[in-house]
Amino acid sequence: MEYRPAAELLGLPPVMKTVFRHPPEDLSGKRYWRSLEELADTPEFRSWLERELPAGAAELELDGVSRRNFLRLMGASMALAGIGLSGCRRPEAYIVPYTKSVEWLVPGKAVLYTTSMPGPKGGVPLIATTFEGRPTKLEGNPLVPSSNGGTDLFAQASVLDLYDPGRARTFIRDGEEAGAQQFDAYLASVAKDLEATKGAGFAILMEEQVSPTRDRFLRKVKERFPESGLYTYNPLGFEEHDLAVAALFGPDIALRADFEVADVIVSLDSDFLGIEQTVQSVRDFSRRRRVHGLGQDMNRLYAVENRYTITGGMADHRFRCAASQIPAFAVKLAKEVAASTNDRVLNAVVAQLKDRGTPFDQVWIKECAADLVARKGKNLVLLGDRFPAWVHGVVLATNNALGAFGSTLRVLSVPRVKTSSLRDLVADTKARAIKRLFIFGGNPVYAAPADFEWGELQRAIPEVVRLGYWFDETSSPSKWHVPEAHYLESWGDQRAPDGTYLPIQPMILPLFGGLSQLDLLAKLAGLPAGVEAIRETFKTFNQESDFESAWTRFLRQGFAESSSYQAAKAEFNPNALPDLLKTAGPPPGPVSPGAIEIVFPADYKIYDGRYANNGWLQELPDPITKITWDNAISLSKSTAKSLQLQDGDLVEIAVNGRKLQAAVMIAPGHADYSLSLPLGYGRWVVGKVGQGTGFNAYALRTSDSPYFATGATVNLIQKNGHRLVQTQNHYSMEGRALVREATVDEFKKNPAFAKTVWMDAEIPPNVSLYSHPPLNAPNQWGMVVDLNTCIGCAACVIACQAENNIPIVGKDQVDRGREMHWIRVDRYFASAEGDKNNPHLEEDPEMVMEPMMCQHCENAPCETVCPVNATVHSEDGLNVMVYNRCIGTRYCSNNCPFKVRRFNFFSYNDRPVMDRVEKGLPGFQGKQQLYLGPLAPWGMDELSKMQKNPNVSVRIRGVMEKCTYCLQRIETAKISQRVKAGVKGDLSLPTDSVKTACQQACPAEAIVFGDIKDPKSKVSQLRTLPQNYHLLEYLNIQTRTTYLARIRNPNPKMPGAARVGNINVDEHGDQRHSAPRAESEMDGGNA
Amino acid sequence: MAEPDASTVAFEERMPRRPLVLNNHSMAWISDRIAGIVQNKAPLWWWITISITGSFAAFGTFCMLYLLFTGVGVWGNNVPVGWAWDITNFVFWIGIGHAGTLISAILHLCRQKWRTSINRAAEAMTLFAVICAAIFPGIHVGRMWMAWFLAPIPNPNWIWPNFRSPLMWDVFAVSTYFTVSVLFWYLGLVPDLATMRDRAKVKVSRIVYGILAFGWRGGNRQWRHYEMAYLILAGISTPLVLSVHSTVSFDFATSVVPGWHTTIFPPYFVAGAIFGGFAMVLTLMLPARSLYKLQDVFTWDHIDVMCKLLLLTGSIVGYAYCMEFFVAFYGANPFERFAFLNRYFGPYWWASWTMFTCNVIMPQLFWVRAFRRNWAIVFFVSMCANAGMWFERFVIFVISLHRDFLPSAWRMYYPTWVDVFTFIGTIGIFLTLFLLFIRFLPMVAMSEVKGVLPEADPHYHPRTEPESESREEAHA
Repeated sequence: MEYRPAAELLGLPPVMKTVFRHPPEDLSGKRYWRSLEELADTPEFRSWLERELPAGAAELELDGVSRRNFLRLMGASMALAGIGLSGCRRPEAYIVPYTKSVEWLVPGKAVLYTTSMPGPKGGVPLIATTFEGRPTKLEGNPLVPSSNGGTDLFAQASVLDLYDPGRARTFIRDGEEAGAQQFDAYLASVAKDLEATKGAGFAILMEEQVSPTRDRFLRKVKERFPESGLYTYNPLGFEEHDLAVAALFGPDIALRADFEVADVIVSLDSDFLGIEQTVQSVRDFSRRRRVHGLGQDMNRLYAVENRYTITGGMADHRFRCAASQIPAFAVKLAKEVAASTNDRVLNAVVAQLKDRGTPFDQVWIKECAADLVARKGKNLVLLGDRFPAWVHGVVLATNNALGAFGSTLRVLSVPRVKTSSLRDLVADTKARAIKRLFIFGGNPVYAAPADFEWGELQRAIPEVVRLGYWFDETSSPSKWHVPEAHYLESWGDQRAPDGTYLPIQPMILPLFGGLSQLDLLAKLAGLPAGVEAIRETFKTFNQESDFESAWTRFLRQGFAESSSYQAAKAEFNPNALPDLLKTAGPPPGPVSPGAIEIVFPADYKIYDGRYANNGWLQELPDPITKITWDNAISLSKSTAKSLQLQDGDLVEIAVNGRKLQAAVMIAPGHADYSLSLPLGYGRWVVGKVGQGTGFNAYALRTSDSPYFATGATVNLIQKNGHRLVQTQNHYSMEGRALVREATVDEFKKNPAFAKTVWMDAEIPPNVSLYSHPPLNAPNQWGMVVDLNTCIGCAACVIACQAENNIPIVGKDQVDRGREMHWIRVDRYFASAEGDKNNPHLEEDPEMVMEPMMCQHCENAPCETVCPVNATVHSEDGLNVMVYNRCIGTRYCSNNCPFKVRRFNFFSYNDRPVMDRVEKGLPGFQGKQQLYLGPLAPWGMDELSKMQKNPNVSVRIRGVMEKCTYCLQRIETAKISQRVKAGVKGDLSLPTDSVKTACQQACPAEAIVFGDIKDPKSKVSQLRTLPQNYHLLEYLNIQTRTTYLARIRNPNPKMPGAARVGNINVDEHGDQRHSAPRAESEMDGGNA
Repeated sequence: MAEPDASTVAFEERMPRRPLVLNNHSMAWISDRIAGIVQNKAPLWWWITISITGSFAAFGTFCMLYLLFTGVGVWGNNVPVGWAWDITNFVFWIGIGHAGTLISAILHLCRQKWRTSINRAAEAMTLFAVICAAIFPGIHVGRMWMAWFLAPIPNPNWIWPNFRSPLMWDVFAVSTYFTVSVLFWYLGLVPDLATMRDRAKVKVSRIVYGILAFGWRGGNRQWRHYEMAYLILAGISTPLVLSVHSTVSFDFATSVVPGWHTTIFPPYFVAGAIFGGFAMVLTLMLPARSLYKLQDVFTWDHIDVMCKLLLLTGSIVGYAYCMEFFVAFYGANPFERFAFLNRYFGPYWWASWTMFTCNVIMPQLFWVRAFRRNWAIVFFVSMCANAGMWFERFVIFVISLHRDFLPSAWRMYYPTWVDVFTFIGTIGIFLTLFLLFIRFLPMVAMSEVKGVLPEADPHYHPRTEPESESREEAHA
């Protein structure tokens, strides 16, 4: 069947009766064109030109006003005036012109600025997209050498914080609103007072940050008020690590792992791809993970951890180990390394530490150590940040014996301002030495170790001034609360983890007149704040004579050249080791049903609790557990069995005399008799979004157990006492080869294994029943997702949410299966034993990630079933969704094999999603106000509106939506290409000139989008790789998104190596992949 | 007048035809009894019943308005279960709407005279069921104020409905079916409306029935035209009986969803629809015949025949269930195989087994003649069939959708109170319309029943007929 428009098929006449002839245009001389289409002179434009006027108008004009037409029009006018128009709701709008034109600004066009986001390990270089002065989207800055344009998900989500309706808006003194002037006056009096006392009794408590200007200000403050104290506290701090490094290398030293060099990496509970990541660590790790040839130079990762982390999911060999046993494991590993390297220092270490803890799998440790030793100088042992300093000492000594320093672990000189810890502040406060405390950021009342009782202590300090972005737990007992400016509202600077100097540029004036930390510190230091301060600091990084041009370039490219940290002269000094090792306490006994340990990891979504009021992050499913809007105690199946617990049971956990109630959740791959409860939830002074979410793990965490505590007991409080909501309830692939994987060896033997896995080995060629519009545009879009490098961090999910105006729907709606994410990361647990029926019973499965979004099938099942043609195919191969045409039958979603279409079950954009019904109709209390329909308030609040991307429609209730491959970005590129190409020019876009939001955000570069017609494009090249495969190929849907199978690099000598890389079961239940076939047979003809 | 054929006589004597109306009632008795239902005061039970069904209908309408103003979210639908009770109810009602036209059209063409006493009520039931069915596709869409996009109206955007979409086919199939059913039903009503007009004692009803009767006088020519038109409409309706539910089944059969994508659907849906339709006719007519004392018109023989039809169609449906299972196993498609195993052994196993029991096992009782003639058993089995057919749709739609290709997207479906009361509301609407029908229109086709009386035969001459009881014995 040949494709023809429907009207033509039915033999219907065109709607127009007459053809209006446009007056012939003089083609000589200078040509003026009325639109880009005319300039392009396409046939569509010609036909459009001939019709010129809208259909009705032309008819009216040429027929004259006949009686019939007159009556028809009058009737229609009556109907419209009486019923239609008066019933329409048109929003009232005001147009305010600029009185002064803004530089660079073309209304409707995005302006990009460089900036960076502060973080505890350094800044994340960013590019902010702004529309008419509103930042709407953040991207990584690919110009910065240590970045590839990827970001973590916190950077993606931070733009929502800027427009958080719950952010602090006013200065508050003793619980009453006060003005900025009053605070200024207060500050002046404080400065005068400090001048007199030299700062005695004055202290500043800050979070760890790597800002040279802040350091300069702090030095100045210390200089002006020498008696004052500077303290830092990060709930997820790496003080212990720094302590060990300082002891073994000297002061002002930092270690940076170079994953690009490392062949063998052993992670001892170090989540260096997850919560402890930097963009650079993910990027570099992925570079060594990517298989574009036959995978010879692939790295190998061993992970030892108590729960599945993102890092553990990427591991080739993973060992489940209670966190309290990790120090013992580190010692055992050191022992093995010492035995084969005969390293003097390490031998001494091992001799000093007798065998600790339970015996581990000896073969595992032995072979792992052998693998490390075999790649001397190209290996790396990493330890989680929050383990005690002596364990860091052991690991550093191991790395030293393995020759890691100078190659895979770079020793850098990192100058810092000397600060004290929160422990010192507590001591000083108890000694009544602190009279006046400034708290910059952080939330110590909530996040300080429970044994510090900081909430009580803070009340004992007469004057506390809190600079905070939200009015939170720490603000309420403070004398002053000062609203903090967002980093997108203020000037500042950062150093990236590798030391590169980055600017923080304001995109917008502080929305509520807040102050930045630098503003406040500048007042205390008596130095100029704002851009002047940054210019001043930049002078130390500038090597050019022309300061102004260097400054402009610094802002333009977003970093200062060759400003990364210098290699330090310090060397590993083992003399301090014995003292360090002496701090090791007695080894904790093995974990058992009577001696359970509890681990406090950071939360993958809301970090240490600071993002608790960020709806995007709250609704983001945890990468591992897929829980949204909550945290939960995860534990292994057998632990749950021995404690007689099930998912959602509410338990009371008691440790060190402290108690907490929380819900439990069975987690495959968790170590036995070990519990994990992420920090950050259970906030009690928090905005609407964070209210009533999760359980406060800080209540159990004391200063001597910052990461884990042993000897916990668990008591059941209520069966099924808490509703945990997950976006993915089913863990198993059910034997379906959705994620395909093989080991490097298998891959070398049979490179195209992915094409013959499971059903795909047996499907006959398919024929399509329908013909389709020709796919004849100059560009044909497609995507390849590399499952080998995708770590599952979900930065893409948030990037997509920010780019495409995707609303949040709240916990109840997620529970009903109505989350709106256009991209989701499917997480499966699979195991070699066959996971067909009971994945939960498998205690030690593999974990695989698979990003899932619209696959843009060429033969799309959704398109044929839509009765109103609301989802159709474009010439460039996109499956497009026409919101205005959609009536919401949901048939497309039913027929979508990937279930990636999302339906607006309510007006998520216009009704209050977070508000609940307080009182009113019986049965409605406690439900979301969405359920009140027209009785709920209408409209999005002004602040949230400002985040929306103007190039993407905000969808109304009742329409379907889905991934568009970021159509708006494609169109923007096409328009500019059209302008560039001129009348007869080539309209195909330059190779790889469009990036989707998910692709841009991915630090692992696992998502590649581009033109599959262009053989030079990256996506085309990836599609030709042998491990490229289509999902559900047997349906003949011809997906445009394809996947690169996962290749794993197991050490064949390791125990359980045979199970690695072997999750696919073939149709006949066999484990091994099908035998290689002839090339023609393997290729399904789906190019 | 030619003498009857000798063999016929012999046959008639050996095995005489059983009367379609018992107890030798006259034509006048029929008019009195049936028109009397309309003309007499409504009995107390009618008022009680209609106030109950009317309340349900009103609350159901409120639920629909709540849905309209609030969003599809008030139902339990989700992704992946985009269609749940809404389309279940739609197909359920459409299925019920099959018996009426089947009885009036196919049985008419087959000269099955027993149809005359039940065809009017069955056709009315069809119309009301189709009305209830049509509600759901209308309200299940996300933007029902834009549902007119489904109509092929020429417009300057040149956007046409998608003629490849089975939902589009549905729109045409159901609207055609409804139109023809209305015409057919109304045409059959005309002679009776004239009777009502002639018997009317109140001026208003005389005028109303008069207008509705289109000036029917019962003349020869009128009868000739009437019968020709009736025959033609019967001819038109007959393929529609088969096509509507086949088309409805394409909604599922043409999709890719495992459990939907099967070629067996069209015949299996039609058989199921006839099964469900006859069950509903029995459900309604069993009480009606006792309440209005119509046992002589709607006899045990009628019930017996319909029970046999239930047995037949129920067994066809049972065969289809087994065949689906076999094909899933034999076809070696793992998705298909999983879908059917999940149907009977997954989390919704109870729905599937309810379906199987109600639709396949319970009708097997009708192999026993005594059970076909026991009103309690007949009523019970037909109620089972009603429930079973609803569950069949639930099983096919919800269970197939809730676990399809990617396990990551699997999710359970739970209905909300709005789901429940919208469905109960349509039952209320259906019953209310039916009660209004028996109140204002003759529920039995008087003219046709008179036509099958012995007196209507031009060759009829009164003989002493044996009593019906004795005939039963003779037959046995």
